[in-house]
Amino acid sequence: MVNKMRDFKFIDSSKKMDKEQIRESLTYWKDVWRRLKKNTIAVIGLIGVIIVILFGVVGPMFSPYYFSDQITDFSYLTPSLDVFQITDTEDGDLENYFVHLNNDYRLFLISEDGHIIERLTRTRVDRSIWTYYYDYEGEEIAVDYSRRVGDEYTGDIDYTVTYEGVETLYPTKTVWNKTYLLGSDHLGRDILCRLMYGARISLTVAFVAAIVNLIIGVTYGSISGFKGGATDNLMMRIVDIINSIPLVIYVILLMVLLNKSNMWTIILALGTVYWVGMARLVRGQILSLKDLEFVLAARTLGVSQGRIISRHLIPNAIGPILVSLTMMIPTAIFTEAFLSFIGIGMSAPAASWGTMANEAISLLEKYPYQLLLPSLAIGITVLSFNFLGDGLRSALDPRLRKG
Amino acid sequence: MSKREPLLEVRNLKKHFNLGGRGAKKKILTAVDGVNFVIYKGETFGLVGESGCGKTTTGRTIIRLYKPTDGEILFEGVDLSALNEKELFPFRKKIQMIFQDPYASLNSRMTVTDIIGEGIETHNLYTGEEKQERIYYLLETVGLKREHANRYPHEFSGGQRQRIGIARALAVNPELIICDEPISALDVSIQAQVVNMLEDLQNEFGLTYLFIAHDLSMVRQISDRIGVMYLGKLMEVTTSDELYDNAYHPYTKSLLSSIPIPDPRSSMRQSRIVLQGDVGNPINPKPGCRFAPRCIYAKEKCRSEDPELIEIEPGHFTACHFVKEINNI
Amino acid sequence: MAKILEVKHLVTSFFTHLGEVQAVRDISFSLEKGDILGIVGESGSGKSVTSLSIIGLVDDPGEVVSGSVIFEGKELTKLSDRELNKYRGNDISMIFQDPMTSINPVYTVGNQIIEVIRAHSDMNHAEAKARALELLDLVGIPEPLTRIKSFPHEFSGGMRQRVLIAMALSNNPKLLIADEPTTALDVTIQAQILDLMRNLQAKMGASIIFITHDLGVIAEICNKVIVMYGGKIMEKADIMSLYEKPQHPYTIGLMQSVPKPETGQKKRLVPIKGSPPDLLKPPTGCPFSPRCEHAMEVCLKEAAPLYKISKTQFASCWLHDKDAPVVKGFVKCESVPDEETEVLL
Repeated sequence: MVNKMRDFKFIDSSKKMDKEQIRESLTYWKDVWRRLKKNTIAVIGLIGVIIVILFGVVGPMFSPYYFSDQITDFSYLTPSLDVFQITDTEDGDLENYFVHLNNDYRLFLISEDGHIIERLTRTRVDRSIWTYYYDYEGEEIAVDYSRRVGDEYTGDIDYTVTYEGVETLYPTKTVWNKTYLLGSDHLGRDILCRLMYGARISLTVAFVAAIVNLIIGVTYGSISGFKGGATDNLMMRIVDIINSIPLVIYVILLMVLLNKSNMWTIILALGTVYWVGMARLVRGQILSLKDLEFVLAARTLGVSQGRIISRHLIPNAIGPILVSLTMMIPTAIFTEAFLSFIGIGMSAPAASWGTMANEAISLLEKYPYQLLLPSLAIGITVLSFNFLGDGLRSALDPRLRKG
Repeated sequence: MSKREPLLEVRNLKKHFNLGGRGAKKKILTAVDGVNFVIYKGETFGLVGESGCGKTTTGRTIIRLYKPTDGEILFEGVDLSALNEKELFPFRKKIQMIFQDPYASLNSRMTVTDIIGEGIETHNLYTGEEKQERIYYLLETVGLKREHANRYPHEFSGGQRQRIGIARALAVNPELIICDEPISALDVSIQAQVVNMLEDLQNEFGLTYLFIAHDLSMVRQISDRIGVMYLGKLMEVTTSDELYDNAYHPYTKSLLSSIPIPDPRSSMRQSRIVLQGDVGNPINPKPGCRFAPRCIYAKEKCRSEDPELIEIEPGHFTACHFVKEINNI
Repeated sequence: MAKILEVKHLVTSFFTHLGEVQAVRDISFSLEKGDILGIVGESGSGKSVTSLSIIGLVDDPGEVVSGSVIFEGKELTKLSDRELNKYRGNDISMIFQDPMTSINPVYTVGNQIIEVIRAHSDMNHAEAKARALELLDLVGIPEPLTRIKSFPHEFSGGMRQRVLIAMALSNNPKLLIADEPTTALDVTIQAQILDLMRNLQAKMGASIIFITHDLGVIAEICNKVIVMYGGKIMEKADIMSLYEKPQHPYTIGLMQSVPKPETGQKKRLVPIKGSPPDLLKPPTGCPFSPRCEHAMEVCLKEAAPLYKISKTQFASCWLHDKDAPVVKGFVKCESVPDEETEVLL
């Protein structure tokens, strides 16, 4: 309520509110982060990227294997094992044993929870009754293909297992392979472990190549954009010429020329070719920024060209540069995998996802998991980076600043 | 009247932009096409005109953001038009610029300290503690506070940003400041603050201004003398009072009469000259007076011969063939 | 006189991630047939948002929080977007500030005018085209027959604004809202456009709401004025009273900070100290109080009601209260509720 006596007194200026109000608003990056968080797909991508990085960096430390460790006896084991129980002790102290037959007719002794104990030697084969015999502690285990299993069973196990006179018609259960969590490959190497090392390789190649691309591309693009005129024309025509041939071809040519297939040659090949995209982008950014008034102000102050580029132009172009960098990574990963896949990438025993896929092609029919797993790894990684990059692009777009 | 010292003399300044095309189809934008004027030390010279008249280009050419196509820019006797970047460097301290858009004229990635300090660093004027003190001093001079030094531009309002821009220009102790539409983008109640501040700074530091604007009333307020441009040429130059009370050029007259008068009762509205047609095109201009297509007094001579900027009366220059007849002098 | 538009206690806010930006904070005014009402204010005053609120064009994250907008007796705030569309371009038209971006660059000018005509009438293409030609002529576009086929980029700024005016007038609107239509134009072109608008208004009898920050333009064309600041109305008056005897410190401050060309000597401008308020945390009480040289305790606590200076002038300022100290230039009078603050000419 208005108090007539008191309220109609003038205020001296010291009581008035601070005239120049300064609003605390978000810094550039905080605002970008806020917008990124709202985008579900981008967050999924970000989580995927973090998982893949952790997988590659930290994962191998938890693996009991090294990527080149091989036990040829234990090759071709799938991640999920159909097992037949052969012992049945009621005594809780003793373990029960199971057997698993793989697609090459090898029989393995499996523990209750899925550990592979040993491979059992095949003693004889009786073709007349379609039976294979294996030796277990002196006793014979018969794997019989002659009996057709009953119609209720719809799986693809078409044999029975007999031990000590007990015939087991169906697989007792399906256990997860605890020795090789994602199975073993044709040389008995743990696929999970190789995937993790593969992650390391793929990510290292991708990040280093992306950084090299960044440095070359940003330098080239900013000089071209800043100089303008004939210089810019010439530099961009060179880029156009390079770009007219699919970049993958250059990489292949380089790899063939270099003749040594290891991580560093791939990085070299990728780094010296893919910068053209970044250069074009940076040049475009520089062109649009260099006529802005704050750049003109720097010129009127006599600031050197180099400082104008490094202090004024590039920091304001960092958004699109970052997006481009994020998108370069999946390209590099995919290219590296592709190179290894066609055989000019990393050489054995290197565990790159591409080489893994390459080695698994011939086994597609019998052991599809060996091709599926590295492909999945590549797919998830590339997709995650793409989601993230897309989300970053939207978050950095100043025109979408609403609310 | 005591002889005043010319600080800047612009002679036959031309700036053309090549828009492409060859031979007969060549398109040249004659943004500034032969401009002559003098600015004396300590005065404010206003440069007005509508869009396409070349006033901004003139300002930017003088400060050598562009290389002139022709003509001379004499600053304290030295011709800046022929110098290369290295030779220009010492002059960068002496001539500075304030820009129009408070949102585009500050690098949003730099702090206020960095923005104001850049000139000081580039010319090595102060270092360390001294430099910081100088920055604080500049901030306070333009009406901001020390605490603002570590903030970023987006935390300030339009008027405050413009002040930061002014502080940046002052940091190198210039003699001449080219103000390129410094208040056009500000709110009306802030414009007066900035204009007053510019006047105070001029008195305190002995500055000379080239004030480029399209708001005639504001230009009159702050300027001692005014030049009116149209399509790259100067139409009239005289003192601001004389221009308003006694304009001779037909363009100036219609320009003045077009200004909306903030008084509904004013009788001046009746004598308004409303120009027909649009502001012309500075690309490949036709010969003759640039204003001829819209001028009610235009005759044959106007369409073939370009009028020179002549001193009709002491200190009053006009570029019009028939200025005497039109004004009965 | 028939009241064509009534705005009552309009409140519009933007709900951003930083909080609620209160753009329009309880304003009321009305318009009679034939009025040209000027809304004067600076950035952040709420003038543009007011016009958008009337026509229902306030976009996410903003919305009209409360209040009513009654056009010819019909309550517009309750209508759906589809129902409002019947009014837009038809009975209520709008022109925006920047002619460069207000026209679609990929269609010819003729096409766009015809589109507006056919959206609200059942003329066929030929009839609409004839009407379009009429309109282009009306707004002073030379050679309408050839220019009807031109694209927007072939026109200058002034010409484009004329085209926009033609589009806005195509269906004989009863109310035309012009949001800073001449701010982006050169001063000689502005004079032409203002002339045009005056003539057209006289011819077609439309009522106009003219939004601007330029006091000179208001004096040129309006008969009534509302002065807005910080989302509220500071003063409402007929044009003569406002310029002869402004009764609000903000209005007075504005007039003093603008140079007047006809006066003989150059007087130093008297700026208003401080800067426009932050609408995220608007000050309690009168929004102008932090900058007002006559501010009193009460001004910081409560916004003043509208005081009736005369039948044609109202000001929201405590200085008019009988119990306030006497300040030269401010008359004492009674306050009246918002409903009774019509500027009756």
